[in-house]
Amino acid sequence: MNRKLLVGLSLILSISLLALTPVSAKDIKVLSQFPMSGPVGALPEFGWGYIDGMNWVNGEGGGVNGKKITWFLEDFRYDPTVEVANFNKYCAELSRDEFLLATGYITGGLKPLADKVNKEEKIPWLDGSYSTEMFGPEGGPSKYPYYYSLGATYGDQLKILLKWIKENHKAKGKARVGMIYSPTAWGKDGLPEALAYAKKIGIDVVAQIEYPYSATDATNECMQLRKAKAQYVIYHGYSGASGCTAIFFKTAKKVLKDVQLMGTHYTTNRMSILVCQEAYNGYIGVATRPFLDAVPRSKSPMDNPMTKLAHEFAQKYRPEEYKRGVKDKDSIKDMFLYLEGLTYALIIQKVLTDADNSGDLSREGVKKALDNLVWDYKGMFGGKKFSYKSHTIPMMQIFKAEVKMVKMGETMVPTGSVNPITDWINSDETKW
Amino acid sequence: MSDLFQALGSGLLVGLVYSLLGLCIVIVYKASEAFNFAVGEFMVTGSFLFYIIFFDLHFPFLLAFPLGLAAAAAAGALIETVTIRPLIGRSPIAMTIITLGLAFFIRACLQLIFGSHSYSFFLELPDISIDAGELLFLSDPLWAGILALLTFCLVMFFLFRTRWGLAVRATSENQAKAMAFGINAKMILLIVWAASSACIAVAGIMISNFGALSTMSSIVGLRAIPVVLIGGMDSIGGALAGGIIVGICESLVGAYIEPMGLTGSKEVAPYILLLAVVLIRPYGLFGTVRIERV
Amino acid sequence: MLAVENLRVVYHDVISVLNGISLNLEEGELLVIIGANGAGKTTLLRAVSGMIDFYDGDIIEGDIKLRGSSIRGMDTVGIMKHHGLTYVMEDRPVFWYLTIEENLGAAAFSRWSGNVKADMEKAYQYFPPLRGLARKKAGYASGGEQQMLAIAMALMTQPRILLLDEPSLGLAPLITEELFAIIKRLNESGISVMLVEQNASAALEIGTKGYVMELGRIVLEGKADELAANKDVREFYLGSGEKARKSYRDAKRYKRRKRWL
Repeated sequence: MNRKLLVGLSLILSISLLALTPVSAKDIKVLSQFPMSGPVGALPEFGWGYIDGMNWVNGEGGGVNGKKITWFLEDFRYDPTVEVANFNKYCAELSRDEFLLATGYITGGLKPLADKVNKEEKIPWLDGSYSTEMFGPEGGPSKYPYYYSLGATYGDQLKILLKWIKENHKAKGKARVGMIYSPTAWGKDGLPEALAYAKKIGIDVVAQIEYPYSATDATNECMQLRKAKAQYVIYHGYSGASGCTAIFFKTAKKVLKDVQLMGTHYTTNRMSILVCQEAYNGYIGVATRPFLDAVPRSKSPMDNPMTKLAHEFAQKYRPEEYKRGVKDKDSIKDMFLYLEGLTYALIIQKVLTDADNSGDLSREGVKKALDNLVWDYKGMFGGKKFSYKSHTIPMMQIFKAEVKMVKMGETMVPTGSVNPITDWINSDETKW
Repeated sequence: MSDLFQALGSGLLVGLVYSLLGLCIVIVYKASEAFNFAVGEFMVTGSFLFYIIFFDLHFPFLLAFPLGLAAAAAAGALIETVTIRPLIGRSPIAMTIITLGLAFFIRACLQLIFGSHSYSFFLELPDISIDAGELLFLSDPLWAGILALLTFCLVMFFLFRTRWGLAVRATSENQAKAMAFGINAKMILLIVWAASSACIAVAGIMISNFGALSTMSSIVGLRAIPVVLIGGMDSIGGALAGGIIVGICESLVGAYIEPMGLTGSKEVAPYILLLAVVLIRPYGLFGTVRIERV
Repeated sequence: MLAVENLRVVYHDVISVLNGISLNLEEGELLVIIGANGAGKTTLLRAVSGMIDFYDGDIIEGDIKLRGSSIRGMDTVGIMKHHGLTYVMEDRPVFWYLTIEENLGAAAFSRWSGNVKADMEKAYQYFPPLRGLARKKAGYASGGEQQMLAIAMALMTQPRILLLDEPSLGLAPLITEELFAIIKRLNESGISVMLVEQNASAALEIGTKGYVMELGRIVLEGKADELAANKDVREFYLGSGEKARKSYRDAKRYKRRKRWL
């Protein structure tokens, strides 16, 4: 195309855009990105929770002191390059005064965006990443001042499991722990911290085995653990991978009969009950959210206000998806995902309102609001309030899975839930 | 020593399943000279068809299994009719590329229908685990190995002991000659694709039974590539040997080399082996020695 | 019995190979078609046997009739089943990686009847050398054995009409002679034969009727012995003209062809 024509066109376009934009009324714009489809699995529940949450915020929720939030939702398909490209696109399109907050979901996108977000754009960024590298002692607020995580790091999760083992180990001698992790960025994350901590508190890590997502068989891995005489096995880094989790649990249940199976956040969920069935019974895992999503769903305990809210939202706005069985692809299979999307919406409303109340509705103002945030997240963590000083929500709880097979019609179906066996633990306040 | 036997044994069991996948590629390759890259997707399709019949419609296993395979065969035949048949007599490369496209197409369809989450998969076959102290072979892999071997033998019997098998072998060699002698090459190709689809389903069902079923399971199909390339693209015995070699190779590397700190080498090992084999014998270990007339 | 009427065949929609060809094969005849390379002999056989689709050719005009009914559009297997017409392709169309016995078995596939063993025995009687090689892979047999096998395989289909495409190709003269004697015997046993040959002298010797093809047309026809005596045929196909050529110009075929047309 003619270059002059192009320049002319873009000039006309930008002038007309400038003319159209009202100068006085400043919009509040936020961008959220979730992995709602993609190779690891389709998780549309993130988006559903977020959409329902945002619609509520702008409607009944009252917006930001009456002002509506203009929100953008993108699916980045588990692909960091898509996440980065989306962010760049919105940065170019939206003005800095209006685009106040961005959210992401994976470590993969945090790394390439580190300079762009923290040095160039200086925009507060909420993320679902539990990366120890980004949010642990090595990273954290001093290095990445604009990054905020919505959970405790994997390092902390592994350490709290080790601590639990130490406190609950009854057999003679040192506790023997085997580690199974995925050969991915998040599977390897937090391992060095955990190993150092195990050494410090006197736990033998007798095996570290990489077990890939593409596995067809886990006999060798389990035999290695058996040979190493592991008493506890920590299964770590399998977000969205219920297929290979099922292989491992089914095999481990038979090969490692007296071993306590444990795991991190993404293995402590409802999907594992459904897919691993009895093999998941007795599993102990750490999680950063109260799931309280039983199988069948009607038996879910509702004593946590935030979880109750999420269930109410889902029933109200997505009654069909809430009711449908797990075999339907358009169903809420795991309330955690819905809860997570909703949590994002509520946090966004909360910090924007805080910033507005302090009279500084800008990126810096939102950052200040986040730094000063002391909140109970609508009672999510047993009503506990805490500060956001480590740029993580440092709350964890240890759960135990109870699964029973019951006869329904002609087939056996799993029922059960993951139930908390400890109180909420604040990793910032824990004596390691 | 028992470690070695353990590794060899579990490698052999998984290897037999790989062999079956390899066999399915080989018979299709021999019959239509196309390399079926969609083997993983065929596998997941067959497994889901079985899943519907067994877990959703609650047919008893002994009925559901053959029904599932028949459904898988029908799916294979349908796919052949729509995509491969119009290409008979054309370049084999065209067919191979069609199968690549098929892989994406089928995967997308499956995700559309079933979503991409996992489906629990418990066959509850009789427990035949072998537990001899240090040596332990679980029931599921044992069943997988046995059924894969049985299916393999059944295919061999069909190919080498029946009239139809003879016609398949003749057509595999040359479609024009077969047609001239009254063998309906189109029908033979249909049968081959259907049979291969059914056998892939056996492998798929067995592999799903190790863990769970999801559209993600199709990556197992990638294992079939080193299997046939090591064994030889047109050799049925080669598929058996190739599968066992790949299975054992994975298992040994997993048991002995990975603990040395070379994590992840299990995934790569079959491909390294493949490279070595292809460098020495470009046609694979058991690739047909061409009959050369002087 | 077999009538080809004004047949035109085009490959890949553009290359015209048969340009309006007509011929007749009567019951019990041994028809010989001779012609140079590229005359369209093989294409003719492919068209008659229904194989032309496979080679991406199309019959764009004319018709082929077997006992009065058109076989245009029928496939090879159908033609074989309904009309007992079997086409033995050129260059020894045997399955190299099957044993000789398996080759015979494969050829019997279309029949669905049980008496394969008896037919095999009959084939062995026509071609005794094959009996000893039954378990040998066909690819390792000699050229003559392979050609015998090819015809034996055709017998397994229980043909009433046999189309043979250059069976003598690449065979030693002695073996050719033996082979042609068997073809003659087959013909005498009641099978109509259409024999396409480059070895015109041997073919015309056993044939009853002959056609000469040039560039997709029939240019000469007649009784086999008459053809064998024809001056032009003798010069071009039998290699024994009256005298040495007078000049290079006379040897150019297309000049003479013009006169024929």
